Amino acid sequence: MGPLAINDIISQNTNFLLAFVIGIGFGFVLEQCGFSSSRKLAGLFYGYDMVVLKVFFTGGVTAMLGLLFFSLFGWVDLNLVYVNPTFLTSAIVGGLIMGVGFIMGGFCPGTSFCGAAIGKIDAMIFIIGLFIGVYFFAFGYPMFETLYKASFLGSPKFSTMVGLSDGVFAFLLIVVALGMFYVSEWVEKKFPQEEY
Amino acid sequence: MKPLHYLTLVLLIMAVIIAFVPQNTTRPYKLTAAQLLEEIRTGTQFISPDEVADKIIKKDPSIQLIDVRNPREFDQFSLPGAVNIPLQDILSENYFDILNQGTKMNIFYSNGSTEANEAWLLTRQLGYQNNYVLQGGLNYWMETVLNPLKPGSISSNDEIARYDFRKAASMALGGGDATSVAPAASAGTTSTPKPVIIPVKKKKKAAGGC
Repeated sequence: MGPLAINDIISQNTNFLLAFVIGIGFGFVLEQCGFSSSRKLAGLFYGYDMVVLKVFFTGGVTAMLGLLFFSLFGWVDLNLVYVNPTFLTSAIVGGLIMGVGFIMGGFCPGTSFCGAAIGKIDAMIFIIGLFIGVYFFAFGYPMFETLYKASFLGSPKFSTMVGLSDGVFAFLLIVVALGMFYVSEWVEKKFPQEEY
Repeated sequence: MKPLHYLTLVLLIMAVIIAFVPQNTTRPYKLTAAQLLEEIRTGTQFISPDEVADKIIKKDPSIQLIDVRNPREFDQFSLPGAVNIPLQDILSENYFDILNQGTKMNIFYSNGSTEANEAWLLTRQLGYQNNYVLQGGLNYWMETVLNPLKPGSISSNDEIARYDFRKAASMALGGGDATSVAPAASAGTTSTPKPVIIPVKKKKKAAGGC
C-alpha cells in the first residue's frame, strides 16, 4: 500500500535511491524526446514543433491514469500523495519569468541539465544563469517574501474546484489531450520544419 | 494504424473506465493483525497511573488526557486537563487533529480499561501515533493514586516510596482521605481547557519542476 516512503514500507534512503534511478530515467527520456535541443523547445512557442506539448501531456495523462487506477485497486492512498501547495501570485509571476527565460535561453531547468550532459555549451551557460537566479532569490528572499506567499490556496485539486469527481475530470482532460495531439499533428504537417 | 491511433484507443478506453468507476476513498488499516497482536501482547500501550499522576502534577505539557466515557460521566468526574471524546465519536472528523498528531502523548482512559483499549485499538489500526491507555482506568486510579493502601511495616523501601508518592499525589489531585468520588464537585464546575493541537505536518517530498 503506497506511498511507499510515507507508510515506512521502504526507508528514506531507499527512497532517495529510487529517486536517483527515476531521475536518471527522466533525464534519459527527456534526451530521447529531443528535449536537449533548444530549437525543439522553442518550437512550441513559435508553433513549428509540438513535441514538448505532446510529451508533457502524455506524461501527465499517464501518471494521472496510473494513480487513479492504483487508487481503485487499493495500491496507493491518494490522501497521502503530496500535492504541491498553490501560491497563486507567485505561480503567475514565476510562470512569466520562467516562460521568458525559457524562450530567451532555449531551455527549462531540467532540460538544461540534459543539454549539458551531452556537452552543449549553451546549456552549461544556462545552468550558470540558473544558479545566479537561485542565489539572487535565496539571498533576496526577505524582499520577495510577501509576494512569494501571497494568495495561498492550500493544495487544491482542480477536480474539487470545479466540482467534478476525479474520474470524470480525468476523462475530460484525456479528451482535451487527445484533441491537442491531433491538432498538433495537423500543425506539424501544415508547417513542416527541418530537423536539426 | 498509426501509433497515435493506438494511443487514442487505449487512453479513451481507460478514460471511460475511470470516469465510471466509483472513487476509492477507503483509508486502509496500517497494521497487520499480527503486528497488532504483538503490541497487545507486550502491552506497550499501557501507562501506569503513577506515571500519569506524576505528569499531571508536574503540569507536563506533552500529555493530553482523553476521556472516552460518555459526556455525563465526564461531567461528573474527569482527570485534570482531560478532553472528552466519547468512544462512539472517535472516528469523527472533529477529533482527527487531536488523535492523529505527533507532538503530544495522548492517554485514553475510561472507568475500567476496556473502552480506552478499544479507542487505542481503533486509532492504532488507523496508524495514528502517540496514543496510550491509562492502565486499569479510573477504577485503578482511585485505588492506587487517590486512596493508596498503606503498605505493611515490613514492606520494601520501594513500596514505601511509592506509597509516599501516591499519598502526595492524592493530596495534590484532590483525593486524600475521601473514599468516594470526592473531586466530582470541584471537577464539575471547572471548565476543561481545550488543548492547542499542533497538527503534524506530513513529510513533504521535494517537488519537481520540468
